[in-house]
Amino acid sequence: MWKHNIKLTFRNFKRNKTSFLINLIGLSTGLACALLIYLWVNDEMNIDKFHAQDDQLFQVVQNYERTEGIRSRAITPAYFSKEMKDALPEVIYATPTNNEYNFTEPGIISLGEKDVKARPLFAGKDYFNVFSFPLLQGDKDQVLVDKNAVVISEELATKVFNSTENVVGKMIRWEHDVFDGEFLISGIFKKLPESSTEQFDVVLNYEHALDPFEESRNWWSDAARTFFILKKGTDLQQFNKKLTTILRSKPYRENCSMFAQQFSTRYLHGQYENGEISGGRISYVNLFSLIAIFLLIIACVNFMNLSTARASTRMKEVGVKKTTGASRWNLIAQFLTESILMVGLSFVFSLVLISMFLPQFNEITNKQLDLNISSQTLFSILSIVILTGLLAGSYPAFYLSGFKPVNVLKGKLNNLFGEKWIRKGLVVFQFSMSVIFIVSFLIINQQINFIQKKQLGYDKSNIVCFTSKGQASNKLESFLNQIKRIPAVESATNIEGGGFMGNKNNGTAPTWEGVPVTQQMMVPRPHVGYDYLKTLGVELIEGRSFSKEFSNEEDNVIINESAAKLIGYENPVGRFLYRGSDYKIQIIGVVKDFHNESLHKKIKPTFIRFQPTGKDIMVKIKPGQEVATIQKLKKTYEEFHAGFPFEFTFLDDEYQNMYESETKVAALANYAAGVAIMVSCLGLFGLAMFTTERRRKEIGIRKVLGSSVFGIVRMLTSDFTKTVFIAILISIPISFFIAKSWMANFAYGIKLSWWLFLVPSLVVLLVAWITVGMQTVKAASVNPVHSLKDE
Amino acid sequence: MIQLKNLERYYKSGFQKSWVLKGINLDVKQGEFITIMGDSGAGKSTLLQIIGMLDAANKGEYNFFDEEVHRFNEKKRTELYKHYIGFVFQAYHLIDDLTVYENIETPLIYRGIKSKERKPLVAELLDRFNIVAKKDLFPDQLSGGQQQLVGLARAIIGKPKLLLADEPTGNLHTKQGEEIMKLFKELHAEGMTIIQVTHSEKNAEYGDRIIYLEDGYVREDKNVNELLEKN
Repeated sequence: MWKHNIKLTFRNFKRNKTSFLINLIGLSTGLACALLIYLWVNDEMNIDKFHAQDDQLFQVVQNYERTEGIRSRAITPAYFSKEMKDALPEVIYATPTNNEYNFTEPGIISLGEKDVKARPLFAGKDYFNVFSFPLLQGDKDQVLVDKNAVVISEELATKVFNSTENVVGKMIRWEHDVFDGEFLISGIFKKLPESSTEQFDVVLNYEHALDPFEESRNWWSDAARTFFILKKGTDLQQFNKKLTTILRSKPYRENCSMFAQQFSTRYLHGQYENGEISGGRISYVNLFSLIAIFLLIIACVNFMNLSTARASTRMKEVGVKKTTGASRWNLIAQFLTESILMVGLSFVFSLVLISMFLPQFNEITNKQLDLNISSQTLFSILSIVILTGLLAGSYPAFYLSGFKPVNVLKGKLNNLFGEKWIRKGLVVFQFSMSVIFIVSFLIINQQINFIQKKQLGYDKSNIVCFTSKGQASNKLESFLNQIKRIPAVESATNIEGGGFMGNKNNGTAPTWEGVPVTQQMMVPRPHVGYDYLKTLGVELIEGRSFSKEFSNEEDNVIINESAAKLIGYENPVGRFLYRGSDYKIQIIGVVKDFHNESLHKKIKPTFIRFQPTGKDIMVKIKPGQEVATIQKLKKTYEEFHAGFPFEFTFLDDEYQNMYESETKVAALANYAAGVAIMVSCLGLFGLAMFTTERRRKEIGIRKVLGSSVFGIVRMLTSDFTKTVFIAILISIPISFFIAKSWMANFAYGIKLSWWLFLVPSLVVLLVAWITVGMQTVKAASVNPVHSLKDE
Repeated sequence: MIQLKNLERYYKSGFQKSWVLKGINLDVKQGEFITIMGDSGAGKSTLLQIIGMLDAANKGEYNFFDEEVHRFNEKKRTELYKHYIGFVFQAYHLIDDLTVYENIETPLIYRGIKSKERKPLVAELLDRFNIVAKKDLFPDQLSGGQQQLVGLARAIIGKPKLLLADEPTGNLHTKQGEEIMKLFKELHAEGMTIIQVTHSEKNAEYGDRIIYLEDGYVREDKNVNELLEKN
């Protein structure tokens, strides 16, 4: 039976080459997209899932209640882990590590002449009991007990010692701009999997992260991330209450609370709203998955439509088979075999497409996906293929096998009316999806264009950013002077913390006259050196910038217009702001509002403070001399920073990076829109072909009766035009809704004007016309003698 | 073998019933070769389809080898005709995508007979109908007569007890038609029960009993010889 079915299927493919090709191209494109996305989703879902006690491995998240709402961060006071381990029996192991804001820069591990860059992690003694990163050498209970012990990675050991043997017990030197020293190697851990969000080369005792910053041991500081293993079956709600109770018993923590989140869920669910988990990357996983499913359905629709459109030719086969003894299930099996084989062939073809597009896809998604897949993934992929086959084949199979032989052999089609509507409905669905994809594509690209062209209030071009590392901090001033002496350097400035432009340096705003001291408000307050405004080209409206001609600049502040408006002083320059009751800060300048944060956010009141010790350096270079100047910068940098490579970025690129996810979605929308419309048109092409074929005789008769070619083309296309029109009418409100909710992510953006919806509709209509037109013009130009002859 | 009692078949259009068959009583014994004749629209094909269990009567009884077919549902009817009945059609109705050999083989596949056992059965028929040389051709490479030979071979490969033929020679020219009818005669001589629908009196002569239908009624039911003598 199987042999029979398979044989029939292949003969059928051969006989109907056009629909076979349409199905092959459509299904393989759809499958290729879906499988690429599946590979990505699969990768995302497996991040951090490899830990042996994954379901018991938790991280503490802290909620801060502030006037503007609850803020949640996954950081805790340094000794919270010890406190909770001692107080709560359900905690089996707990460990602190340095928080994600400190020690983000790698240090240098050296032995004799060898210098190797190494990313540090500072962790408590039970770190390797909490996280199951396997140790090649060393005892996981002991490796971090000694304060001067370090555990290094397999790769680092090989780089420094050319071997992982006899490394334990040796001394190495650690150099970092915060601290350095000699350490005893106590263990080696295996290469960390790529699916781990925790990435480091060397683990040091947590105390070292606290030593350089005395205040970080205090209960008002959040110097740690806290991880722990929780006893199975613990009631999380009760447990969270206990955590909060412990925290609130400490000073400065009365407005804070805590909850435990399973560590491996933080990668996809890392955003918080109102003190609760509110999503994160999972929204991209969902969006991508949805797009994949829709693309696959669009491709399946083609198969269904073509199969049912060809029903009249298959009808006889069904009738005859039924009279020779085939049961309905025999026939369903035959048609499903056909669709599964079709999808199977398309799958093979899609593998070719995937291997062609994988590099590009990896670039969009920032991953290293390949086709070296595990048997489990293979199983899932085959399931997708078979499910697609069943989906594509189900409707035709049940529809075609339901023919009654008596009617069929008499030449009657049953239920023609309903069938036609289902087919139309499927086409409407396809084209609605196409319009939605194209509208999304257009709006995302318009918005990205807007972001590119937006006047930001500062000039981001030709600015090089880099960080001064190692021991150079005491020579920072002479280093900066040296840079300024390079002829093509227009200006240079330094910033203390908070990323490029210092925009992430948020803190509580100072207060002003007429405002109670207790009011707290989080604002950006970059701490910058001289020439910050000059380097960025921010316009000063009143007052002056920080300058060497004045002393005590640390007690002064430059505010932006929004801040000036908020404060409400009539002539702000020269007046005072307050921190506490006795610390006065003088306003020396007001600058025009500039977008120091991404366009997702409204410009906030900003307070620019002076701090000449910042190590993040921005250099403005004269246009046209970038390459030579960067060479000179490199030379100067290496003079001052022996052993540290010169790593720089352009402010332009940093700006781009803020919109990374938008660019990613745009790229995806690009492809999705292209694939959707291509596959839909393929299907329409096939349908048009069959319709005109079926109406060949009618066309002949009409021509004999005097109809023109144009008249016939119009008659044949009007039906399709109506269908596409309905699709457009349905899709416009849906895409408007989607666009509106996406644009809600931006404080500054394009207006949703009517043409953003009209143009995609016209494009779809035009493409549909061309597709159908090609067929109908051909059919209408045929001499009626030929079409009427063989009947 | 077959008893039809008071069989009725009608179509409803609105509140009106229009009868295709009315008050049909018929007895068919095993080994008979019956011809159903009548003008277009007299209900010949419908009667044949009801006997062949492709269609069901609205009223009346239909017993087939003492089974009460009129009480069967569609599935059970399918099961029955699969084993007892073979069909031959005017338009041959071969499956275009299958070769001669495969077309003949199809009913056996649906009966679950293994490939090894199918082979000799098909070979025997190919040989008997003299179409061994054509076994790998597709239907559109054959003449009408050859196609009908294949159609007949397919109908009888399952060794049915009853062969039903709806104008088997209607699309053929005289010589080809004769060839087919001779085969029918042979099969009849071997003991097969045959019911055919035809317009041709010449074809009717091959059988031994003729039933004339008129507007859904049985007008005459006679032995071939006496009927032909009368005319």
